Amino acid sequence: MNRREFCKQSAFLIAGSLLGTKGFCSSLPSYTGKNNSKKVIVLGIDGMDPYLLKRFIDAGMMPHFQKLISTGGDFKEMQTTIPAQSPVAWASFSTSTNPGRNGIFDFIHRRPDTFELYLSTSRTYEPGGGKLRLGKWMFSLKSGELKNLVGEKPFWNYLTEAGIPAVIYRAPSNFPPFPGKAWQMSGMGTPDILGTYGTFSYYTDNPPENSGKVTGGKVYPTFPKNGIAENYLYGPANSFRLDEKQPFDEVDGEKHYNYEKLKIPFKVYIDQEHPVAKVVIQDKEIFLQQGEWSSWVEISFELIPHLKHLSGIVKFYLKEVRPHFKLYVSPININPANPALPLFNPPEYGEALVKDLGLFYTQGMAEDTKARTYNVFDDKEYWAQSQMVTADWFRAWRWHLDRFKEGFLFFYFSTLDLGQHMFWRYIDHVSPIHEQALKSGLKDPVETLYRQMDEALGIVSKKMDAQTTLIVISDHGFTGFRRCFNLNSWLLDNGYLSFLDPAQREKAEYFENVDWNKTRAYGLGINGLYLNLEDREFKGIVRADQEAGLLTELKRKLEMLVDPKTGEHPIKHAYIAKEVFKGRYVGTISPDIILGFRRAYRASWETILGGFPKDWFTDNLDPWSGDHCIDPTEVPATLVTTKKIKKSNPAIWDIGPTVLNEFGIKIPESLEGKPIF
Amino acid sequence: MFRSGKIKIKKELYERVKSFAEQAGYASVEEFIEHTLEKEISRTGGSDSEDETKKKLRGLGYIS
Repeated sequence: MNRREFCKQSAFLIAGSLLGTKGFCSSLPSYTGKNNSKKVIVLGIDGMDPYLLKRFIDAGMMPHFQKLISTGGDFKEMQTTIPAQSPVAWASFSTSTNPGRNGIFDFIHRRPDTFELYLSTSRTYEPGGGKLRLGKWMFSLKSGELKNLVGEKPFWNYLTEAGIPAVIYRAPSNFPPFPGKAWQMSGMGTPDILGTYGTFSYYTDNPPENSGKVTGGKVYPTFPKNGIAENYLYGPANSFRLDEKQPFDEVDGEKHYNYEKLKIPFKVYIDQEHPVAKVVIQDKEIFLQQGEWSSWVEISFELIPHLKHLSGIVKFYLKEVRPHFKLYVSPININPANPALPLFNPPEYGEALVKDLGLFYTQGMAEDTKARTYNVFDDKEYWAQSQMVTADWFRAWRWHLDRFKEGFLFFYFSTLDLGQHMFWRYIDHVSPIHEQALKSGLKDPVETLYRQMDEALGIVSKKMDAQTTLIVISDHGFTGFRRCFNLNSWLLDNGYLSFLDPAQREKAEYFENVDWNKTRAYGLGINGLYLNLEDREFKGIVRADQEAGLLTELKRKLEMLVDPKTGEHPIKHAYIAKEVFKGRYVGTISPDIILGFRRAYRASWETILGGFPKDWFTDNLDPWSGDHCIDPTEVPATLVTTKKIKKSNPAIWDIGPTVLNEFGIKIPESLEGKPIF
Repeated sequence: MFRSGKIKIKKELYERVKSFAEQAGYASVEEFIEHTLEKEISRTGGSDSEDETKKKLRGLGYIS
């Protein structure tokens, strides 16, 4: 088969995949049916940095931002949360409360009484009936019992209770979507079908040396024979079917059942003359040229033969045919056309999106940074993948604006944030990997991403009328991540933490070598430091009367700490939780100290989940070269509006009350923010 | 329905349970029912192991 034939067949398949998406025009909820009603739009751009935005506006790169600000609008820095992490900041935005009340302090939390670690924004609680394990989450044949852990009501529920329609597209920390009448699609925190933040599959006959260390993906050695490569696409465990080879293990006389892992076989037929191949999976045939991505492919895992299936969607990327076979398969996204977990509230919202837009990314953080980190992607490939994600957001942005007639619309773009994480080294002239980045062949990725956000603003600007208030926000700014701080190593070397076997310092992970009976404090998550408190922690030893003194001592020492390489104090503020948060989660779920790093510093890769590298400080040589999980005063958020901002020092928790105020709704006293106009 | 440790269920349901137990790889209907009931009572059947959970946390871009 020649290249033209391959292309024709590919085009046919793509066209086929779009069938059924036309001839249906959906609408968003409208209570009055009038076109001249009050409208408020909040455009959330994760990670938009106010300093870079100003620089790019001044350089003439952001004409729509420039026009909005200079024609009656406004632009200010905005306070963000302690710490400046996305789940924390967006939970504060949604609820207009501090973390002490909404309960979100970090990406990662622990149960103090068991030391069980979990993703902070959602958990699974076992329902009755048959179940399918989706990693942390559960798929139930009867009903799923997923819980959004944000512990306060979102402000948009006050809108819908007052009869104002609200549409919330991919708000972070909103999985599963909050109960209520607002139309919502879940955002950051939504898992892939394995229940992870995203796990890609990489099939190759030339596995990289670091294959065993890859996280966020799995490498499957795959050796083509006679031009055919065969392997499986793996899904979650199927709790309806026991593992054939070893159905159970017996431990202390008790049976522990092992479940079969769901898997779908596939074959790749490699053309012997041309750099093209055909992927055959279930009833699908996908023709790819080397370097080409497929469109979405629907796959179906069989749970109970002929009775129950689990649906997912994947994209294939034929990275290389020869000399080595390299096939990347995206994390298996939950199929929005047949979601196994609650992505939409109400379900009709998802149905409308799918009917008009076809399939799209549903994974909370869809840009595959891990594939880049482990060199499965190079910079250009990561760029291409993340641009496919952005294209999904732009299609949805236009869809919503075409249908939005009244009420409140929140819309979220993710790609600028993750793009800055991966490409900050391009603009950071003192980054140890700056020169290397410039040789990649990719030109000005950060600038391009900002231009794209200007384009997003341009799209909405054309839809604006006198009844519309537009508020553009980010959740934090951005900066370089050049130096890593190993908090747990520092605690160990300063006698706050002890080992069972000191010789195993760098080998042990996940705190497994920690002697809890001699440990007074530990670091967990990106910014958290916890005391090993008696009657709270599972093996606590710090008495209540020792708590205040120990916190003060740690705060003083950490803020005085100096990085010997730079002479800087890496920790600007060590915030004592009880002094900066108020609410029922303080001292229970919350860390006891939040580390506020200065620019260029962040928690090391290893310390976050309990690793203990030899040195307290190391260079960050990872492509993930930008970050924001630092002191909030170092990375303020962005606030751009169509109206003049009257409130001094506006904060992300002010946005909810501002929206309510725009609709003339009395602001509940429980909300902590104030209107900005 | 309980009498001397035995459970009565409708024949139609029994046939369906038997068929499913065989497909799912259980050695007997009793084993399948016992396992299902244990799962229901303990409500722990779907929990990830500690290592699995930690491995999944490491899928987050912020962590290596």
